[in-house]
Amino acid sequence: MSGDGGSGPAGRGGGRDPDADAGSGAGTETETGVGDPRSRDLLRVRDLSTRFFTQEGQVNAVESVDLTVRDGEVLGIVGESGSGKSVTALSLIDLVESPGRVTDGEVWYRDPDLAGEFPAASDGDYVDLRRVPERVRRALRGPSFSTVFQDPMSSFNPSITVGEQIAEAVEVQRRARSNPRSTRSRTQGYGLGQFLLDSVVPGRDYADEASHERAVELLEQVGIPDPGERAEEYPHEFSGGMLQRAMIAQALAGEPDLLIADEPTTALDVTIQAQILELLRDLQEERGMSVVLITHDLGVIARMCDRVAVMYAGEIVERGTLADVFDRPTHPYTEGLLGSIPDLADPAPRLRPIEGNVPSLLGEEMGDRCYFADRCPKAMYECLSHPPEYDAAGSGEHAARCVLADHEYDPAEALPGGYFGGESGDPTADADPGGDDRAGPPADRRTKNAPREGGDGD
Amino acid sequence: MSFGRFLLKRTLQGVVVVWGVVTVVFLLRFITPGSPVDVVAPLDASPELRRQIARELGVDRPLYVQYFEYLAGLLRGDMGYSYLSGTEASARVFARLPATLELTVAATIVAVALSVPLGVISATRRHQPSDYAATTFSLLGISTPNFWLGIMLVLVLAVQFDVFPTSDRAFGFLESVGHLVVIAVDGPLVPPGEGTRLVVEFPLDVGAFGRTFTTWLSYIVLPAVTLGTYFTALITRLTRSGMLEELGQSYVQAARAKGLPETLVRYRHALRNTLIPVVTVVGLQMGTLIGGAVITEAVFDWPGLGTTVINAIQQRDWPILQGSLIVIGVGFVVVNIAVDAIYAYLNPRVVE
Amino acid sequence: MLSPRTLRNLKREFDRSALAKVGVALVALVVFVAVFAPLLAPHDPTAQSLDDKRLPPLGFSGTENQTTTERVNGTVQVVNETVTVNATADHPLGTNALGQDMLSRVIYGARTSLLVGLLGTLLAAVVGVPVGLVAGYVRGRVDDALMRSADVMLAFPSLVLAIALVGLWGRAAIRVPDPFVVAGLAPGMPRTFTLPGTVIVVVGLVNWVWFARVARGEALALRDEEYVKAARSLGASDPFVLRRHVLPNSATPILVLATIQVAAIVLLESALSYLGFSGTELSWGFDIAQGRDYLATAWWISTMPGIAIVLTVIGINLLGDWLRDALDPGIEGEGGGGA
Repeated sequence: MSGDGGSGPAGRGGGRDPDADAGSGAGTETETGVGDPRSRDLLRVRDLSTRFFTQEGQVNAVESVDLTVRDGEVLGIVGESGSGKSVTALSLIDLVESPGRVTDGEVWYRDPDLAGEFPAASDGDYVDLRRVPERVRRALRGPSFSTVFQDPMSSFNPSITVGEQIAEAVEVQRRARSNPRSTRSRTQGYGLGQFLLDSVVPGRDYADEASHERAVELLEQVGIPDPGERAEEYPHEFSGGMLQRAMIAQALAGEPDLLIADEPTTALDVTIQAQILELLRDLQEERGMSVVLITHDLGVIARMCDRVAVMYAGEIVERGTLADVFDRPTHPYTEGLLGSIPDLADPAPRLRPIEGNVPSLLGEEMGDRCYFADRCPKAMYECLSHPPEYDAAGSGEHAARCVLADHEYDPAEALPGGYFGGESGDPTADADPGGDDRAGPPADRRTKNAPREGGDGD
Repeated sequence: MSFGRFLLKRTLQGVVVVWGVVTVVFLLRFITPGSPVDVVAPLDASPELRRQIARELGVDRPLYVQYFEYLAGLLRGDMGYSYLSGTEASARVFARLPATLELTVAATIVAVALSVPLGVISATRRHQPSDYAATTFSLLGISTPNFWLGIMLVLVLAVQFDVFPTSDRAFGFLESVGHLVVIAVDGPLVPPGEGTRLVVEFPLDVGAFGRTFTTWLSYIVLPAVTLGTYFTALITRLTRSGMLEELGQSYVQAARAKGLPETLVRYRHALRNTLIPVVTVVGLQMGTLIGGAVITEAVFDWPGLGTTVINAIQQRDWPILQGSLIVIGVGFVVVNIAVDAIYAYLNPRVVE
Repeated sequence: MLSPRTLRNLKREFDRSALAKVGVALVALVVFVAVFAPLLAPHDPTAQSLDDKRLPPLGFSGTENQTTTERVNGTVQVVNETVTVNATADHPLGTNALGQDMLSRVIYGARTSLLVGLLGTLLAAVVGVPVGLVAGYVRGRVDDALMRSADVMLAFPSLVLAIALVGLWGRAAIRVPDPFVVAGLAPGMPRTFTLPGTVIVVVGLVNWVWFARVARGEALALRDEEYVKAARSLGASDPFVLRRHVLPNSATPILVLATIQVAAIVLLESALSYLGFSGTELSWGFDIAQGRDYLATAWWISTMPGIAIVLTVIGINLLGDWLRDALDPGIEGEGGGGA
């Protein structure tokens, strides 16, 4: 794989040509060996960057992210709060809100019809969604991409019944099918007058009877008992788990090719979490759709995913198959994440939190070093310049943005402790990740110190 | 709890409040210096005459007797008789009510029809010229005393109607507004006499109706604009800030994520939830609107309850004053129950 | 009450918002004018001069219908003529029908407006806040009773109630010696300043409900806070908990409400004095009413005080917006209500 080592940031130009890209991207999908690689990739994201232009400065929430989502797979994106994983998801469906903006990159989506319609933005069967009009991207939400958000309670409109909200999602797709032209109009024939009529005239509604019936069916499919009655209820009458099921039902309304699940179980009780994951897994297998699962919970990843991308400070720092990342972690950050999982069999000694906090993502403060260097137990002088993505040992697609993927750790080159203002411990003391029995502070301190997802850091 | 029971509960609460209103209005006379006898009796009245007047007015009996008699009278629709003219107070008050209703309803319609779209435009085109125009208007609107606005409107329109703004005619225009308003209430098509009856003859004379309507409209425009501006500005501000807040909520993002067109997201989701708190404030501010009507009536000599109240205070004509205040209070309570019903309709969580 | 964090938020919002700066500047100007009125006013605002009546403001000219009698050929003739009246620098904003200087009246009017606004708000808060805090804290029947009586209060439009009370109770006025004049700094100015006493009491009584509502909401929410529960479980008395925990933590929304209330009461005062229900004639609303009869010939008599009211209220409203945006107390423009 060392022949591919020169790729990484420099090799991304090939994204314009999916065929060429398949060969040039670091550890990408060429070596999977199953048929034509093109036919298995639903989405290819190249060099995607999203920035937030805040008063404090420019926040690089997502930086040069490359991702590939294949048909029928579950891709996990894992990282701490504030690592940019949720913003990555929102960037894919073009829902980043002001002051944020997707500033760079390409999002190649396999859709022969669209590719035919926008030849200038297309390549073979793929079309670069960043270069098609906004209304086209919007029309893809629902039938192509749909999303399950973290907190079901705030993701449903509190004053509309759950059934009606799902019926809306069905209705908008039904109207799109019956009148494809209007799908892309901004209003789809719905204006203030329509809203007033709907509000004042009894029995008048946006969604028709058939859409309501379909909504009940969907609720039944996600395992909600008495779906007919529950459909008439308001979000606050649902339990968290039931409401998350309802949101999954809503996400299925458009028969999506890709379901993006952004921390779908974080807001739920542990027992409910397992049920929701099981439901997602079943639905994914049943429908053969692709799933991007975003979580900070490695347990969820281990249970659900085929492939994994680890994000840190807006970048993907390591990716590969589940086995690559879990069994042969290369990036010290991944190692740290795996080390911070409490082991029930042997709790105290193995609990090794990562020291320090997720760094500021302010553009001017990030500098040109490896962003993890200040917390890294194996930081070396060469980490003061930003590393490219190297191929790592493992399956053909295992890659890491760390010099350790290229060569061994050299204690002689180690940065002295406190080099970055004392944030990290003495690097030599942590040199051997396996034999460390120093008891650290409890694992959850890490998340307490970190900025919250969606907060200032994002 | 069902919607019907919710409404019943609110109505019962409303009855309690109305009882409180009546009691306060009744007690007002007893915390006011001076006796009703002074209003009626000549300055040199003998003690006997004063006693006789007190007996006739019914103010010589114990407080509680008067109170219960007053309550009983109200239940029969009897508010007593004017101290000064001797006419039935209820007749006077209810004769004046339509003019005030007309004015407040016109102002409310104008306000709601203008302000909600204005607030939505302002919020969805943030930091664009239309937003700045709307926010400037609403800031001016909530900061301008409406009586002054009315006077300025008259001044500007008088100036506009007159080529030479400083001539006597401008003053005449003011007068004519005051004069014609009275005719409009009597109605140009209505035979002479009391009341605001509008005679519609069949076959309908569309032309004549149109002229009458235009006349009516031309009289109500200035007072309605005067009265409605504060309200329009207030609701615009509330709609704008509420809309901005709702548009930042997760459910809006989720609605976009499921592919809803932007207008649907804005109106069906965000605006609907914006209007929930707006409706509450509108209900609370109905008092301001009615208070504004009082002073607007004074500015335009609009013969409604407001002018009645002011005159009754100056003349100490207690039955008229009490009747007017009670009607205003009851009107406020009724409007608020209606507002609560709309609120419950919009926001199913309160009915729990 | 003002923590460093609060101050920082205030400063940040102030730096960010041009409107906040405008608001502070306007309020500062009005306060300055009100305090130093005797030093700033060019004339005694109450001094009449029929020779100078209805003079137009600078930059404008007015006309006056003059009726003079002339003796022509031994008979007396009445001559009506329209004469042009020119502005004089002596009266930059012109004069009213009694020849009083409008600029001086506008300057002194700021005193009335601000004093009524501030004292009325203070009274409303002093009555309303304790009532609301106790209602929200004790809950139950006390709460029900207080809230129903608040509903009764709200059922009377504040202006109507204020008119009724001022009209019925009389227009008591308090004459306060003017310190600048007493100290001899402003010769020729009125020695006393008239406070419309009834008006202050009435606007306070009419508006206490808004404070009660907000304070009650805060107390209801704060009662469930852990630190309040902790203090109670440690045996702190209710009055202590109210004073030590509930009141300080309700301060922000009450402060924002108070700002809105000052604006509302300034408007209410102007409406009352417009209708003639006030204890002083040095009031913007009173002057607007005086000018109403002269709209055709002397538009400035009504216009100038109105502009003063609008600028003052805009300033206070912008100040309120600044506080609300910086402190985010979560109340939405409630509790307004003037004229």
